[in-house]
Amino acid sequence: MTLKTDTRTDGGVTIVSCNGRITFGDEAMALRENLKKILAESRQVVLNLGGVTYIDSGGLGTLVGVYSSARAAGADIKLTGLGQRLRDVLQITKLVTVFEVYETEQQAVDAFKR
Amino acid sequence: MATHITHDSSPEAGSSLFPQFVLVQNGEQRTIIIDHSPFTVGRKVDKDVVVADPRVSRDHAMIVSENGRFTVVDQGSKHGTFVNGERVDRKELEGNDRLEFGVRDVVYAVFNPSHSASNTAREFLSQIAEIKLSTDTTDLEKLTLFLEAARRLNTSGVLDEILVTLLDVTLKLTGAERGFVFLKNISEDLRLAAGRNSKGESLLDDKTISHSILEDAIKGNSEFLITDTSRSLDLSGRQSVVAFDLRTVICVPLRKAQVQTSRDAPSGSGEVIGALYVDSRFASRDISAVGSDILHVVATEAASLIENARLVQAEVAARRYQQELSIAASIQQKLMTVTIPEVPFARLYGKNLSCKEIGGDFFDAVNTDDGLTVVLADVSGKGVSAAILASTLQGMIYSQLSAGMKLVDIVTAVNSYFTHKEIGEKYATLVIAKLQRDGELEYVNCGHVPPLLVCNGEVIRPAHGNLPVGLMAEATYESDKFQLHSGDRLVLVTDGVTEAENASGEFFDNHRLEKVAAESGNLEQILAAVSVFCAGTPLSDDCTVVDLLYFGEQE
Repeated sequence: MTLKTDTRTDGGVTIVSCNGRITFGDEAMALRENLKKILAESRQVVLNLGGVTYIDSGGLGTLVGVYSSARAAGADIKLTGLGQRLRDVLQITKLVTVFEVYETEQQAVDAFKR
Repeated sequence: MATHITHDSSPEAGSSLFPQFVLVQNGEQRTIIIDHSPFTVGRKVDKDVVVADPRVSRDHAMIVSENGRFTVVDQGSKHGTFVNGERVDRKELEGNDRLEFGVRDVVYAVFNPSHSASNTAREFLSQIAEIKLSTDTTDLEKLTLFLEAARRLNTSGVLDEILVTLLDVTLKLTGAERGFVFLKNISEDLRLAAGRNSKGESLLDDKTISHSILEDAIKGNSEFLITDTSRSLDLSGRQSVVAFDLRTVICVPLRKAQVQTSRDAPSGSGEVIGALYVDSRFASRDISAVGSDILHVVATEAASLIENARLVQAEVAARRYQQELSIAASIQQKLMTVTIPEVPFARLYGKNLSCKEIGGDFFDAVNTDDGLTVVLADVSGKGVSAAILASTLQGMIYSQLSAGMKLVDIVTAVNSYFTHKEIGEKYATLVIAKLQRDGELEYVNCGHVPPLLVCNGEVIRPAHGNLPVGLMAEATYESDKFQLHSGDRLVLVTDGVTEAENASGEFFDNHRLEKVAAESGNLEQILAAVSVFCAGTPLSDDCTVVDLLYFGEQE
């Protein structure tokens, strides 16, 4: 497994930091299960992808899947820490119009408090 | 000579166990197990095979076991002993040998006939179970013999038959009335796998057994033994014991044989896969006298028998599944084979470099009255699931193109189909482009690597794009248009091209792609440039390139 996640809370917001690769298979599945558990307890989640070195099509599908089901359940996920490559991917796939993306973790957390 | 059927773990002794002897006498056929040595034939009544015919000598012949081989020895008979028609004094026997004793054709025997191999394992095991052994053979030895044979038969994978025979033997050895084997199913529930009573009847109903004892044995992962319930103090909660007057109950968990992973690991702590349960109602059939070592041997061996049988079954299933998969793969390959239509105004090339795993790339081309349409798609993920999705996608797009539907309507329909089906995080990026005779190019980019428009050595990367198909049910799609002139090209690639890595982890990337496209735009040269860049680093994703060259409107 080449993906590690680290969870902490700031006020009512749960911040999940990802480190490693998010790829089709074990990593994507582990991330999905992990976020599912977190979303069962927290409605407000910031996903910090600052430590993510690579995300493939399967990993991207997982992010969208988790995001959609969170929204459907009345929760929200905001993204931060996007590297250039992930920005490019979100741009190409136009998913940048779907996700809420913030420059810094603090901005993402603050956005929930507004 | 004492009986030779004593347990010995050497392979010679193992393979010498229980040859058969089919005796045909007066038109009647009997199967006899040669379970001791010497095995005697003659007219005297104390012979193992008695033939009451004057041409058979009183002490005619005997079969002796030596080092796992069996030899017939003539005992100086008047009319001789024959093996396969040849008179012998002494001859080592092979399977299917025909033996005759003095009276040829009236009585003969076939040694270890090969058709016995076609007997079911059950029959064979039963025969073994019924052998009479010398009285000094202990129960444990008998049991070990049985298990030895059963293990060798186990490759046949007939789990049910093994269980039934196992129970019959266990009941015989313990003197218990009823026996059951319970096995855990996939969801860890205990299910009755086999039940027998001492009369050899199948028991399909486990209602009258003590389920609380069964559960305790499984949960506690240890043997549960009540040898005399009339003297047992704590029977509260043991309703069945009381209601059905069960006097003796023994329940032993069946544990998977465990490979010892560390020196500290306690032995015998393998995962519990089920339980062996025997009980009796009568005090007279008290089974407490049976050494608990017998039941332990039964439990241990049963578990390994069951496990082996399951492995065999799983292997058969896996092999069948593999065959199905390879059929599916060849169908998939045929579906994905593209016949490129020939049109006067353009020429289309497409090529795919596959990585090791089955990828989800495909391209297709359809020629209709209003132009030549090309599709390049990349389904997320890899393997069978990606291949299934790719085939479905290709089929949908092909049929809708043939029906003359608009590009935007096609991708909208595909998106709603895949999001409606809730196939879980599976999606596809694709470009679908239609080139008309007059050079008008309409295309829809659904989250795919932007196409390259190569015009006069200049590369244009239009920013136009939409969401991939299959991710968002509410996604809407728009198309973009471009006018091509004679000699212009449309180049489509999958991200396997832009993300092709070299040894230092660098991507081929857009700038290299654009550079080589500007130089020639030629498909072969693009793929060659990727190969040179990777310099032997294997592809981690399929690389597909489609190259559409416009000739201009031909008269």
